[in-house]
Amino acid sequence: MGQAIVITSGKGGVGKTTTTANLGTALALQGKKVCLIDTDIGLRNLDVILGLENRIIYDLIDVLEGRCKVHQALVKDKRFDDMLYLLPAAQTADKNDVNPEQMKELVTELKKDYDFVIIDCPAGIEQGYKNAVAGADHAIVVTTPEISAVRDADRIIGLLELEENIDAPRLIINRIRPHLMKAGEALDVNEITTHLSIDLLGIIADDERVISSSNKGEPIVMDPSNTAALGYRNIARRLLGESVPLMSMEKAPPSLFTKIKAVFTK
Amino acid sequence: MKNLVNIKGKNKGLVLYLDDQCAYSELLTELKAKVSDPALDSDTEVTVHLNKRYCTDSQIQELSEVVATNPHLKVVGTTSDILTVEECEQKIIESQSETYVGIVRSGQVIKAEGDLVVIGDVNPNGRVEAGGSVYVLGRLKGAAHAGTKGNRDAVIAASWLEATQLKIHDELETMTDELSSLSEQPEMECAYLHKNGTIIIDRLQELRFIRPQISTFKGGS
Repeated sequence: MGQAIVITSGKGGVGKTTTTANLGTALALQGKKVCLIDTDIGLRNLDVILGLENRIIYDLIDVLEGRCKVHQALVKDKRFDDMLYLLPAAQTADKNDVNPEQMKELVTELKKDYDFVIIDCPAGIEQGYKNAVAGADHAIVVTTPEISAVRDADRIIGLLELEENIDAPRLIINRIRPHLMKAGEALDVNEITTHLSIDLLGIIADDERVISSSNKGEPIVMDPSNTAALGYRNIARRLLGESVPLMSMEKAPPSLFTKIKAVFTK
Repeated sequence: MKNLVNIKGKNKGLVLYLDDQCAYSELLTELKAKVSDPALDSDTEVTVHLNKRYCTDSQIQELSEVVATNPHLKVVGTTSDILTVEECEQKIIESQSETYVGIVRSGQVIKAEGDLVVIGDVNPNGRVEAGGSVYVLGRLKGAAHAGTKGNRDAVIAASWLEATQLKIHDELETMTDELSSLSEQPEMECAYLHKNGTIIIDRLQELRFIRPQISTFKGGS
């Protein structure tokens, strides 16, 4: 029996879907069998980020309404032989077409076959959120070092703490810009974690390559040299019970030697 | 025959002591007669004391109207020696203190009939309300409302008073930006309603002079 984790944030655009894709991929790379569920019905994105858009045949609504079997709707990511699957959201229905009981049933069924069921939650705290958290055992709250995102994270944590079946939520701080934090222009990691007072699962550096890789349909975590990728890999290891120290955001400015070296290694 | 209405002078006007054993209608007649006494010809403030008679709100209204038939008399209030069981229970509830351990997060509202003690933070957009005073052992970064039922003596005290809004009874105070006041050390402050109707923030230690009546502690050595 695997575990179901919901990735949520309250606010939109903080990187829930990117986190879901990368965390799922990182866990698959660690040899775990992972199923990702996109619950953002009507505004599905997870398939695009994973590069699986063209292969969707059935979706979440088809499964819940009995038009197909679960395994028929699951899209296999061929890059990770048999380890990573996606259950895409429907694009033509809306969030009110699903109810929490159906989701709970579906997630329970998937947990039998997968080590991790990762549920990508839509923004907001309405029906879509309720559906997404219904079957989850654990919750990960994604925020960015912005006051608005932290406010919404606080609200979501309050709601998650009321859910009896979900363990204490854990936090990922995404899109960290070390120079802003250092200058005191953005909230720092410590401030955010003491404010929200939940466990910090990991931090992800802001990196332009996350955007370009998402556009290509290749989660950044596949590039082991990238700092954001390292952040996701660390989080995956922590989820698997390893104790990995928080990576330092302090980066020495590249010396002349490394710049020259970079020219030759390209 | 015994006087059903006794008029006594007090330092600030007259007090009408109404008999509590006679019939209500008798009392009304007697009161009418008493207040129409031509000797009462200077403007006076009047308090009606009901003794141990229980009167409904409409009866109290009626009594006040009878007194007001004399244009010189102005009813400033009614007092009585009794409480209904309901009122009494409400008073007990309001004098009790409730404790909440945890974080009051954005969107959450914690309410208490009496005093409220929060052990933990109140985050921005979180709200704590109490009929009595609010005490926060932690950071108060959200909104707090003390004395929701009209208690103007209620206070709001916190280890870190960084609230966005403070309200005591019906006076609202919007606080300055929270970022400017984030400090490492607790400031230990309290907010109270000044006589002039504005909310004042002072050191927590000053509370013993500002609101000594809050202390319920008796004995000790």
